[in-house]
Amino acid sequence: MIRVEGLRKIYRMGAVEVRALDGVTLGIRQGEFVGVTGPSGSGKSTLLHLVGLLDPPSGGGISIQGTDVLALSDDEQTQFRLTRIGYIFQDYALVPDLTALENVVLPALALGLGEREGAERANTLLSRVGLAERTDHLPAELSGGEQQRIAVARALVNEPVLLLADEPCANLDTSASAMVMDLFASINRELGQTVLMVSHEDEHRRYFDRIVRLRDGRVEEEGEPGQP
Amino acid sequence: MLEREKVALYLASRSLARGSRTGLVLNVAIIGLIFTNMILLPSIISGSVDLFNEQTIDFQTGDIQVRPGEGDQYIDRAGTLLETVNRVPGVRRASARYSIGATFSARNRSVSVPVTALDPRNEVEVTRIHETMADGEFFSGGEQGEILLGQYLAGNEDPRKDFYASLGGVRVGERVRVAYANGAVREYVVKGIFETKSYIVDYTALVTWDDLESVAGGRVDEATEILVRVDRDADPDRVKTALLGAGVQEEVKTWREAITSAVEESLETFGIINSISMVVSLVIAVVVIFIVITIKAMNQRRQIAILKAIGIHRSTIVRSYLLQVLAICGLGTLLGLAMVGALGAWFTAHPLVFPDGVVVPRFEPASLVENTVWLFAASLVAGYVPAWRITRENILAAMKAA
Ligand SMILES: Nc1ncnc2c1ncn2[C@@H]1O[C@H](COP(=O)(O)OP(=O)(O)OP(=O)(O)O)[C@@H](O)[C@H]1O
Ligand SMILES: [Mg+2]
Repeated sequence: MIRVEGLRKIYRMGAVEVRALDGVTLGIRQGEFVGVTGPSGSGKSTLLHLVGLLDPPSGGGISIQGTDVLALSDDEQTQFRLTRIGYIFQDYALVPDLTALENVVLPALALGLGEREGAERANTLLSRVGLAERTDHLPAELSGGEQQRIAVARALVNEPVLLLADEPCANLDTSASAMVMDLFASINRELGQTVLMVSHEDEHRRYFDRIVRLRDGRVEEEGEPGQP
Repeated sequence: MLEREKVALYLASRSLARGSRTGLVLNVAIIGLIFTNMILLPSIISGSVDLFNEQTIDFQTGDIQVRPGEGDQYIDRAGTLLETVNRVPGVRRASARYSIGATFSARNRSVSVPVTALDPRNEVEVTRIHETMADGEFFSGGEQGEILLGQYLAGNEDPRKDFYASLGGVRVGERVRVAYANGAVREYVVKGIFETKSYIVDYTALVTWDDLESVAGGRVDEATEILVRVDRDADPDRVKTALLGAGVQEEVKTWREAITSAVEESLETFGIINSISMVVSLVIAVVVIFIVITIKAMNQRRQIAILKAIGIHRSTIVRSYLLQVLAICGLGTLLGLAMVGALGAWFTAHPLVFPDGVVVPRFEPASLVENTVWLFAASLVAGYVPAWRITRENILAAMKAA
């Protein structure tokens, strides 16, 4: 499903070089639910950005479903993100001019769905993350946890084959967090969706098929979630 | 492809609805003012040209001007020609005129200007000088020993108020001595002073044909020009053709052809002023739209990055800005049209008074359309550039920026 080969991302800030990713090699199978952990600054978000085609790597390769995605043009990458990738940002990244519902509907519209069909899908997803009300509010009028759940619904609306989630439960209480994780798990089971998710939380471990631990931009260890 | 349009419209409508109201109103107002500015000056110029054309027709050339053929100084057998002309279909009335140089003396001043002899019964059907009497009356026919002076010829007592050398403010009822180019000298009583506001016409004098014959010492069957008024709905060009067809050998010109090249040049100058004013307005429009969209897109850098991140194409985002530009321009144009309409009503009720007459701005539909098209085209380009530039930015960099 995903093949990451010697992936590197180096930020140069004047004379200082920050190696956010320093040669990450990783293989993820179709339908796998993979957790990414590691200390702050270890490169978890950077890894997701690169796999999500949001930023070009400094070196290495990424292939998704057999496509060498780095070789795609800018427009093709956008289309790839629209049709195959769902992305949940660590800071939600909702469109401030759109209401909660519109934020979720938008990708569906872009995919060619009608407004009504898009709204139906969006409402279903929003209620599955426990957010059936207040969907006509702008993001600025919603709490962090509410925004986070909208971001989750938006990432799922186009039924992407790959879901990239950057701490999607960071601002959720235990019950909302469980709701989101159960949603991921069921989608992962029912639709065979591949999930790559950054999380620190121990209670998430039981959902993961596998955990990738990063440290200083490298894979420290890969293993079963049961092992500490 | 249509999806992108739909998504662009979706984004643009929300962005306009949820963006700053004041900002939108200001933008629309600016575009409205630019539009009004683009329309107003050309319309005043059109109005001035109309006024000038009207003055030319009403006081100087009639609809058609018949003048001596090449090499001739006079139109011979003017009486017969007048009858011929009057019989041509489309001709309402023709008036023969005879202009001759003369030196006028009154109030110890003397001025050399041409004097024109005419038959008042014909003249009032052709020109409208008789409607412009500032003082006294026009000839009613058959007068002798009386003269009509143009306002600039009569002039003012204070020479500083005069446009040209004048007869020092001579009044109706006073006597004027006229020394004709042929040596004859006559004294006339001023019967009236006309004020056509044409600088040429108002610096001449009029006498009756009977007086001309007394000066010439016999019947005068010659004319220096014959002015023709056509029927209300007749086309001067057609009538001209008909006149030539009826065997008129003299030089026949419609009023448009008769307007001298000097005048044509000044009309061209108006055209150039017009174009400059339009270009300046467009430049202002371009700058305004450019700034508006640049600021808008800069403020929405993060939003643009998010949209790209979730798979909205760059071209869709650019289009959503262009749609906003269209909306601003559309509303601005509507506002502009309303303002132009209000100004039009105002100027119809309160025409602009220029020294050479009263100008009612004329709004030409063609120029309205042309200016609107230009305004939209310029604004779209002005909006496209910043939108295109700002949507090119790296997604993560833009997301971190805000
Ligand atoms: N735009 C940037 N410019 C310079 N350095 C950056 C930039 N983005 C990230 N980094 C650096 O790269 C490293 C990895 O960052 P990253 O955001 O991937 O960490 P993370 O594992 O997601 O941390 P956290 O758990 O705090 O979210 C950090 O040292 C960070 O400071
Ligand atoms: Mg992170």
